[in-house]
Amino acid sequence: MTADSEMVEPAGPRFSFEGRPREARPGDSVLDVLLRDGLPNLQRSPHYHRPRAPLCGLGQCTNCLVRVNGRPNVRACRYEPAEGDRVETENGWPSRRFDALAGFDLLFPSGLDTLHGFRRPAWATRFYQFVVRRLTGFGAPPSSESAARLRAPPEVRSVDVLILGAGRAGRACAARLVAAGGSPLVIDRARSLEPVSGAELLTRTTVSFLPPRPADGARPFEVLAYTEPARGLLLRAQRVVVAVGSYDASLLFGSNDRPGVMTADGALAMAPRGGPPPFRAAIVFGAGDRAAEVVRRLEAQVSALVAPGVVPPELVRVCSDAGVEIYPRSLLVRAHGRSRVRSVELVARGSGTVSRVACDAVVLAHRRVPNVPVLFQVGTRMRWHGDPGAYFPEVDPAGRTSVPGLWAVGSVAGARGAASPLSGDRAARSLLGALPAGPVDASRPEAGPGEFEGYYRELLRRPRPGRWVACPCEDILLKELEAVTAGGYRGVEVAKRYSGLGTGLCQGRYCLPDALLVLALHEGRAPSEVGYSTQRPPVHPTPLAALAALEPQMAPSEER
Amino acid sequence: MTSPRRAAYAVTIVGAGIVGLFTAYQLARAGAGPILVVDRGFLSGGASGRNGGGVRQQWDTRATVRLARESVAAYRRFGREFGYNIWFRQSGYLFLAETPAELARLTTVSQLVRSEGLDARILDPEGVARRVDGIAPGAVVGGAYLGSDGTLYPFPAIWGVYEAARALGVEVLLGVDATGVTSKDGHVAGLVTSAGPVATPRVVNAAGGWSGEFARRAGVEVPNVATRHEILALEPMRPFLDPMVVRVSDGLYFSQTMRGEIVGGLTMHHPPGTTGGMSTSPEFLPRMARTLTALVPRLGGLNVLRAWSGFYDDTPDGFPVIGEDPRLPGFVHAHGFGGHGFMLAPAASRRVADAVLRTPSDLDPEQFGPQRFFGPRAPAAVERLQLG
Repeated sequence: MTADSEMVEPAGPRFSFEGRPREARPGDSVLDVLLRDGLPNLQRSPHYHRPRAPLCGLGQCTNCLVRVNGRPNVRACRYEPAEGDRVETENGWPSRRFDALAGFDLLFPSGLDTLHGFRRPAWATRFYQFVVRRLTGFGAPPSSESAARLRAPPEVRSVDVLILGAGRAGRACAARLVAAGGSPLVIDRARSLEPVSGAELLTRTTVSFLPPRPADGARPFEVLAYTEPARGLLLRAQRVVVAVGSYDASLLFGSNDRPGVMTADGALAMAPRGGPPPFRAAIVFGAGDRAAEVVRRLEAQVSALVAPGVVPPELVRVCSDAGVEIYPRSLLVRAHGRSRVRSVELVARGSGTVSRVACDAVVLAHRRVPNVPVLFQVGTRMRWHGDPGAYFPEVDPAGRTSVPGLWAVGSVAGARGAASPLSGDRAARSLLGALPAGPVDASRPEAGPGEFEGYYRELLRRPRPGRWVACPCEDILLKELEAVTAGGYRGVEVAKRYSGLGTGLCQGRYCLPDALLVLALHEGRAPSEVGYSTQRPPVHPTPLAALAALEPQMAPSEER
Repeated sequence: MTSPRRAAYAVTIVGAGIVGLFTAYQLARAGAGPILVVDRGFLSGGASGRNGGGVRQQWDTRATVRLARESVAAYRRFGREFGYNIWFRQSGYLFLAETPAELARLTTVSQLVRSEGLDARILDPEGVARRVDGIAPGAVVGGAYLGSDGTLYPFPAIWGVYEAARALGVEVLLGVDATGVTSKDGHVAGLVTSAGPVATPRVVNAAGGWSGEFARRAGVEVPNVATRHEILALEPMRPFLDPMVVRVSDGLYFSQTMRGEIVGGLTMHHPPGTTGGMSTSPEFLPRMARTLTALVPRLGGLNVLRAWSGFYDDTPDGFPVIGEDPRLPGFVHAHGFGGHGFMLAPAASRRVADAVLRTPSDLDPEQFGPQRFFGPRAPAAVERLQLG
């Protein structure tokens, strides 16, 4: 830090990272501090111990877990250090930079087959178990002292309207309710947000479990939530508005887990306060509004745009203004580089021409999918849409879902751009009784093969250089997913149990969108027929300490 | 919809869980003729895909200990026989006692298990603490431990038996409901399914939590009760807990899987029956969290990854129902495992196959057969160690 910035920046907490002193500015997360030295490879993957760097910037992926004061698996992108905190990395031996266990990645280039392998000879069983058990898992268990520090008194509230998410739609909804004299409670995962005027806003607060409501509607929704680091919340709400938004999906290609591969969410989140992102020459993958947004905002650090299909004229203009090279109608086949992406290999669709483009990051801006786990969990009727290839809730024009008392608004319900705040406003008016229930909005096309079904059909016919990671949390390879169909099994539920896909810390957010398309291709049916794996609570991983504190607050159930 | 390939089968089995599949496999190996298995869900969709993977030989009665011991031997061979690695890890089962009375009860169990040639031991609180790192001081007065008990990974066991049975010609229809049984002259003559009827002289009821319902549809009622049990998994950690831990007082159990996740549950006393579905109740997560962190406080710093539930198929006396029904010859019961079907399936399925083939079995029909429920006598024994 220069003397200059010390004068303008108030001093923040000092903490240690891997034993070295670091200083945060107020409001910095651990990741914000580390990003000043560039993109950190914070993590080693759980099976092959491949180097990993942050992917999503949203606190959803598994790639920035650190140990804080003896508590494991704290997300560096979400945690604001306090004075004297001890932050350590978790998953490398002896260190994350030189991890001897990464030898398994090099020794087994096509992966370890834990389903069929390790069976013979019988006398070696205990040895295999000893080794394989030590390869898995993230970090060591928590220390007793760290667990004891997590004791926070729980909070119990009864509210009329609970709004999940303080994005544009959630805000618009809250604002209209406040204007009519209501007092909705808004919760959001973000660390800091502009206040929603007149409404109470709880930041760093995440819904954990939105259980289906009893059929008679006599009882309110009993929402379990928690505020980081571990305060449990029980929110009894008569009505709930889900406005949890959407996120950028991942993409299948060779070595797609290399440090430097990140979603557009991640690229934007890691360029905080208008600062530079942790790359100098990125390729952006995508051709829609999101790709245009990334190019516009980070144009000095973007060198090329790779589009799965044709590039619309507007985006061509944005790119040429920014001096960004365009590779239209291209398959992204593989990333090169080990501890950081150095280049990518592209194949032109149709002609088959191969090109190699140097870069130090790959920003995935091709497909935004709704953040639907909470809607599946509460039992909302969902409908598949070919583009972007995702399930959306069935809603009426005011955002009413099939669950009485539950609304879905904004991009989680398919509203884009200016339509998003409008959907929040309409929901508020229907909550106020000004809008009667209407028919399910059928304006969005239901089926029709989506863009990425065609993309993957073409891509997966080709050779597969490098390691294709289908589930980054659990280090599960694409071939392990494809072995499910090859073995005669069908449907995503069995695929999940056969391969382990979707059972990691991101709760399927970074594997299911692609896996549904891959399974559909191999099973020869529509993605909607492959199904969707049951979305089990919690919505986000929730500390046991926060849940434990809520136990005395729970109403007696209908027990024997 | 897929429909049966044949009009007639030598044996039809209702339920493609571990018990139904193992039974099909045993019968196919014995050359029983064409076999059809139907299941209305997907493979691994019932309790066989929802359990904690525990396999123990510590039981209250000699008969169950022997079935369990035989199953342990079968699971040790599993990888070589079925081609799938189930990661059967014999790192012990540890029952915890909080009172001297509970410890006395465990001591009786332990002595019985020892008398069957197994190395069951009673541990003092220090011995327990050595095996459960971080257990709250004073939480227990002792425990019962058997090192050759263990845990396995249930899914590959299902794939292995499913594939082996199919390789022997067994037909498995998924997404097909068994709606009833037809009879002729008082003997089973056919099975009615949602994919059409088939002729068959033998119907095996291996429907797990739904076996009471299917027995009723067939007109041979049994007193089984389906109870919903809930379970959760914590985020994967490097290994720090070896045995499966079970507390006697409330049925709390947990172990650390090969993947490093702590998987555990406790008895929730939900109303009986399957109509409520297999969802997680709002009460479960907080109660489980409080119970588990009271016993092992350091776990409070771990995150819950997912919670789910499944059905135990309970009988009044704690024994499974295995045998042909005298009320309807040709109808064979293979259910009532009370949440322990996975651990007993390899041994139990051999006895089910015996019943189907009408060959002599070493199981006492008065103890395991359905007639114990409608005979004049009270049950001969009761298996009370229905925990975990």
